[in-house]
Amino acid sequence: MKAFKYLSPTTVEEAIAFHDQHSETAKYIGGGTDVIVKVKEGWLEPDYLISLKKIGEMSELHKNDATGELSIGAMVTHATLEKSLMIQNEYPIIYDAVSNIGSLQVRNVGTIGGNLINAVPSADGAIPLIALDGIALLHGPDGERSCEVKDLFIAPYKTILKPREILKKITIPPQAPHTGSAYIKFGRRAAMELPLIGIGVLLSLGDDLQTCTRARICLGVAAPTPMRAFNAENLLVGKKIDKKILIEAGKIAANESKVRDSVRGKAWHRKEMIRVQVRRMGLKCLEIIKNNS
Amino acid sequence: MSKNNSEFSVVGKRIPKLDAAQKAMGRAEYIQDIKIPGMLYGKILYSKYASAKIIKIDISKAMALPGVHVVLTGEDVPKKMKMGFYKDNPPIKKDKVCSFRDEVAAVAAISPEIAKKALDLIEIEYEEQIGIFDPEKAMEKDAPLVHEHTKSNVLKLPWNIHYGDVEKAEKESAFVVEDRFTTTGVTHCCMGTSGALALFDATENLTVYTNTQIPSLAQKDFLETLKILGLENKRVRVIKPIIGGGFGSKLDTYAYEHIAILLAYKCRKPVKIVFDRVEEFKATSTRQPTVTYIRQGCDKNGKLTFRDIRMILDNGAYTSWGATTPTVMMMPISSLYRVKNIRYNAKCVYTNNTYSQAMRGYGNPQATFAIESNIDMLAEKAGIDPIEFRRINQNVPNETTPQGFKITTCGLAECINEVEKELKSGIAKEKGVGVGMASLIHVGGGARIYKSDGCGAILKMDDYGKVDIFTGGTDMGQGMDNITAQIVAEELGLLAEDINVVHSDTDICPWDVGAHASRSTFVAGNAALGAAKKVKQKIQEFASKLFDVPAEEIKFKNKLVFVPGDQEKSMPIDKLLRKAHFSKNGTMLMADYFYDPDNESFGKDFKCNLSATYTFGVHGVKVNVDEETGKVEVLDYIAAHDVGQAINPLLLEGQVYGGVLMGLGYALTEEVVQKNGENMNANFRDYKLFTAKDAVNIKAPVFETADEAGPFGAKGIGEPGCVPTAPAVANAIYDAVGVRIKDLPITPEKVLAALKEKNG
Repeated sequence: MKAFKYLSPTTVEEAIAFHDQHSETAKYIGGGTDVIVKVKEGWLEPDYLISLKKIGEMSELHKNDATGELSIGAMVTHATLEKSLMIQNEYPIIYDAVSNIGSLQVRNVGTIGGNLINAVPSADGAIPLIALDGIALLHGPDGERSCEVKDLFIAPYKTILKPREILKKITIPPQAPHTGSAYIKFGRRAAMELPLIGIGVLLSLGDDLQTCTRARICLGVAAPTPMRAFNAENLLVGKKIDKKILIEAGKIAANESKVRDSVRGKAWHRKEMIRVQVRRMGLKCLEIIKNNS
Repeated sequence: MSKNNSEFSVVGKRIPKLDAAQKAMGRAEYIQDIKIPGMLYGKILYSKYASAKIIKIDISKAMALPGVHVVLTGEDVPKKMKMGFYKDNPPIKKDKVCSFRDEVAAVAAISPEIAKKALDLIEIEYEEQIGIFDPEKAMEKDAPLVHEHTKSNVLKLPWNIHYGDVEKAEKESAFVVEDRFTTTGVTHCCMGTSGALALFDATENLTVYTNTQIPSLAQKDFLETLKILGLENKRVRVIKPIIGGGFGSKLDTYAYEHIAILLAYKCRKPVKIVFDRVEEFKATSTRQPTVTYIRQGCDKNGKLTFRDIRMILDNGAYTSWGATTPTVMMMPISSLYRVKNIRYNAKCVYTNNTYSQAMRGYGNPQATFAIESNIDMLAEKAGIDPIEFRRINQNVPNETTPQGFKITTCGLAECINEVEKELKSGIAKEKGVGVGMASLIHVGGGARIYKSDGCGAILKMDDYGKVDIFTGGTDMGQGMDNITAQIVAEELGLLAEDINVVHSDTDICPWDVGAHASRSTFVAGNAALGAAKKVKQKIQEFASKLFDVPAEEIKFKNKLVFVPGDQEKSMPIDKLLRKAHFSKNGTMLMADYFYDPDNESFGKDFKCNLSATYTFGVHGVKVNVDEETGKVEVLDYIAAHDVGQAINPLLLEGQVYGGVLMGLGYALTEEVVQKNGENMNANFRDYKLFTAKDAVNIKAPVFETADEAGPFGAKGIGEPGCVPTAPAVANAIYDAVGVRIKDLPITPEKVLAALKEKNG
């Protein structure tokens, strides 16, 4: 492993200034569960690693009760999210996803922001944030900008972030009443697993508790970047949700996906899993809505 | 012979592994921790192709790199230097590479980083050739030859048996089933990666620190290497650091060990080679992938009439002990259940895959997967409950099997009953839930696969009542150290902690054939017991004069030497030892013992009594199959074994739990994925070893049949845990959803595909 210097700025501005100073030879690091692996394997050879962990605001997890907006600092660890009762109760889809990332040890240090920025097709963290219409707040040398989480990804390991830009936090807009959400990571074992396929579903129902007002069907490992199954979502919106229509949505989502054969799993099976799990997660959403109303 | 556990003081006690604290605190010295002044770091360059000619190698740039001491290529290796019993594997390849794992060059440098950089500077021109990766295709007439000097890819090995008359028996059978079963290459996944450190002294005697299960045979291999280097009459000392897992991976000597020796010899400095995890996956061996064609028959009452098996093993590009696993497969094939007519033929076939090797069970898991899956199919065809079917055919004590195995103690019936009780308990059958079982036979009293199946032990007592025992046995984490200590302590009336077990150094420890065949408890245990008995007798003779009673009246317990019922005639053992030492014509209490079990080498038609006793077991499993995803969840597991006597139930359960989890990985998740000979999943992310979170609830009841030949009645239990696991799972899946998966591992894809085919 190449030797590097480790810098610990306490503000975003300071972090960017460090990066400016060391230009190409510097790299931001969060929990390090991806970056350090890459350094060890020789895929990255930075002279400086700039840690974002000491930047207080980036580790904040906060829900504004007045507006209903949730704010997740990019350096919030998976374990923090997993243990938060607020997340468990109000954002089950986030809990489902982060509680199955890596292992306990990985979740204790790995961060939600790092999971997004690493930009692998299998990022468990991305799916719920896309389903929840999350907004990513970016901070670069030229100031701040924001985008939808779903638009962060360009290709495997590639995001829209410009050089030196930092993903500061993710905000989740207030959720409609009668909303349920769920995620499943389908893999071959219970820990240290990349999903063979990741499926997240979010449903909001009208006051009749039947008609769908909003649907999100988000898929990991179904394409080079995390994707939404828009055709399947469109099928559901405005309709009364039952098992039958969820079966149909599963079929459509499977057809929309761009799954591939790989060493890890076969495309046909991945498609099958989308078909089955979209229905199952949809039913789980209905169950959650029923229990909460 | 049989004693109640309550009569023992130390044997039968749950004493934690003696080196547990040392390991938990990070103080255990593994090969990774060993450093010697002036030591250089060796690295190996591997082939870029599965099959290619080497046209040219240019090492000039690597040699010019500051810090590099030596660069070796195939040119530097004497032609006679070849590894393995088949002698087909030079430590560095010269004109041709036959697998991605082929070593093509090696470097010794002052740091691992420089050594790695030097590897990148070695320029090799290859001419790629067509490889062959499927053993069945490699047997075809016009298949490319892996080694051009051979006439065929099929190795010349005599794996053929026929007892009774299979054809006649088949004609007389009421029911016959046949099928094809396949298993894949899995690997040992030792937590401690491989490594070796070689150094020569000023007079060219060699010391090798190495992770090995066979210190004495490794010493022999290294002596051979020295001889080929022209170093006659030299000494080789093999030192084993603490080993982080063996599972059969360390039953041979490997290129990295011989390369470390060559590098050390060339640069006259100590050289250490340690594998990283990727290298561990790519450059160590797998279990033999097998293709098995099986036919079994029974009469109308369910009594087995014949078993007929033809098997093809993927040998890979070179030959190690893996090619001899058919000899162990003969054991379940000829002797699991009572079957009179047996036929077996196995062919080991060269391919351009990585070469295969021994792994826990030594072929038994592959054979048992086919046999026990097929037994369930036969039971179904005969309309007999699978548990009842096994009971009809179960092995019994004091019987000789068609291969000539003399079964002495046998607790198979008890194991079947226990598993039946467990599987039939609980609530009524739910949809998608099923149960399955499978049995095992394994060698439990050594296995004479070498000229000697022996183990030596030297025991000495000091002035303080403590014991040092120098044993040929090897601890690689399985607990040979505890077993030795507990046996010696029991015999001499001491505590386990009074016994220091030294098993690390061929300069100090006597000969042993190796830690294989689940033999350490039985063979090393008997060797230790023999030495302890000799010392005991000496103490008795001394005490007899002191107490003026016949020697046989002297007893040992709680560190006391005493005559029962006579309080005057009792003395702490340390005091007695000092009395013996510091008197006129004083004596130290020492003894040596070499134990070689009363078992036999393969005779004509492979008939013999291979082991001094046999271990039996039955595994039962309850699974839940998700019919929409194909995913199999193991709900409950029971592994019942006849172990003779548990010397240490804690460690015994550890062996069973570990074996079962290894077996479940084999059944459900693990596979070295080779694409045209290239390892595609050389990491723990994609090689699906069970994690702690995947671990399942395992019950491990033991039956103590107290075998007369075993130390305090014990039989071996190292390997059985992973032997019948896969067929038990496959049988449970069939019971749950009605599909039979005949190809390991049983992935969700395979289950779902089979369900779709079944349901149309």
